[in-house]
Amino acid sequence: MILQTDTISLTLQSNRLLDDIALEVLPGEVLGLIGPNGAGKSTLLRIMAGLLRPETGRVLLDGQDLFTMPPEERGRHLAYLPQEAPAAVGMSVRDVAMLGRLPHRRTSSAAQNETAVQQALEAVGMTAFADRSSASLSGGERARVLLARALAVQAPILLADEPVAALDPAQALTVMDLFGQCAVQGQAIAVVLHDLALAARFCTRIAVLSRGRIVSIGTPADVLTDALFAEVYGVAVRRCGEVAVPWSLVSSARRP
Amino acid sequence: MSRYILTVAVLSVVVLALAALSLVAGPAGIGVIQGLSDMLHGRETIAATIIGQIRLPRMILALLIGGTLGLSGAALQGLVRNPLADPGVLGISGCGALGAVLVFYTGISAVWAPALPLAALSGAGLATLLLLALTRGGTLVLVLAGAALGSMSAALLALTLNLVPSPYASYEIMHWLMGSLSRASLHDVLIASPGLLIGSALLFSTARSLDALTLGEDVAQTMGFPLRAVQWRVVLGTALAVGSGVAVAGGIGFVGLVMPHLLRPLAGARPSRLLLPSALGGAALLLAADLFVRLPVSGAELQLGVVTSLIGTPVFFWQVWRLRGRPV
Repeated sequence: MILQTDTISLTLQSNRLLDDIALEVLPGEVLGLIGPNGAGKSTLLRIMAGLLRPETGRVLLDGQDLFTMPPEERGRHLAYLPQEAPAAVGMSVRDVAMLGRLPHRRTSSAAQNETAVQQALEAVGMTAFADRSSASLSGGERARVLLARALAVQAPILLADEPVAALDPAQALTVMDLFGQCAVQGQAIAVVLHDLALAARFCTRIAVLSRGRIVSIGTPADVLTDALFAEVYGVAVRRCGEVAVPWSLVSSARRP
Repeated sequence: MSRYILTVAVLSVVVLALAALSLVAGPAGIGVIQGLSDMLHGRETIAATIIGQIRLPRMILALLIGGTLGLSGAALQGLVRNPLADPGVLGISGCGALGAVLVFYTGISAVWAPALPLAALSGAGLATLLLLALTRGGTLVLVLAGAALGSMSAALLALTLNLVPSPYASYEIMHWLMGSLSRASLHDVLIASPGLLIGSALLFSTARSLDALTLGEDVAQTMGFPLRAVQWRVVLGTALAVGSGVAVAGGIGFVGLVMPHLLRPLAGARPSRLLLPSALGGAALLLAADLFVRLPVSGAELQLGVVTSLIGTPVFFWQVWRLRGRPV
């Protein structure tokens, strides 16, 4: 399944948040959305998830308009993992993951739901915690449970907003690796990232947003150039092997 | 047997027992079975009249009103994801009461009896529409709008009491605000049942949406549960149920606040699992409270709403004590 934004724009209170964004998320790829704070990454992801209507342009799921699709059907095609989730209300880890099966309640058997939840918990390494109350988990564990919920949907499209922001390096690697595996199995994944090293390593394609526009899109090697770091982020980088590490500010006056 | 099923089973037995006791209890020593049989066969005996005209309507109303109050509390708490939410919190009960009091005040109810329930329903309905118009935003706005509505209805009730011309009307209003089923009639049952039943059906239909909402409004929406659709059903269901209840029984508070609190540890943290137990618990509480006010403890019969508040506030305080220092 292909998720496509067809030249979408959004203006809020005379601020141009997004300007003519044309983008595709294809099966088998992890598309990284990067860019400075306020570039419009999360807004774009919310529009792609159907949470926010663009002012102009359309969001298409295999050619069908996302906003005219029945909500339940949309829920089966598309899983969304927000940046911040509400505090767990004390449900068991399994019950939280099982919430991901709600869009399938009329189309799936109990056994199918159980299998999907087990696979999702296994994928994030939380099987042993299945009966624990989600209130007793650490921040990283809770993030993984919420990821399991999103995986349990088994949707062809997965949209994740900074999924590794609360995770330590080992867990961040595990989660990004998991996205890679999901893509190999045919899922189309778009993920908002701030960690450029992770983006360089795990994304098959990267789209760079700056002030509501896509300024560059392509493979990590093509996109993450020294010129782009200077232009978009205002930083000079030092190369450590293949990875570019932000090293010093080049033009702090340029940044808003 | 899971703890949930056990909880529902025990509560059902308690409700049935209290309902039966509610038919038996009363000053007139009559045979309940005989009375029911006479009533069903259309024999106009004293027992049939007492059962059919007095005890049965009172039992049915306590059961239905208590049930819908417990249910609406559980649904509202699921919707706003705050364990302190209640029909009173959203101002729906208050506006229903205001509607009824205005009818007292103008004397319309003395001329045309159905005006009273209709006014209570309209008050609750208007409060609902106002809430929906004000809450284009998230649930925080909903709670704040509810608080504003509650304050407004309290102020207008006080103004009405302040301006009321005759002491008799003022007594009627005070009496009615305290809530009672002592004058419940078959007519009341007919007036209130449609709203109570349709409201309950709407509230029960939100079970899955409330579960989805535990993940936040955005995730719930992407899973096919738009927030506004859930809000509509919960608020409309609550208005129908609470408005109908207020119309025939006056102000009965705290049932919707207390029952979900007491039952959450038994029913589990999933909001859908709290609806049925809270409804049963609310029915049991109101049946028990209504039995209590019939006890000949003092000269005057206690008002039902006073008893539920007396039971409710200590539990409320206890909950606040448990929650102290924790973010709600």
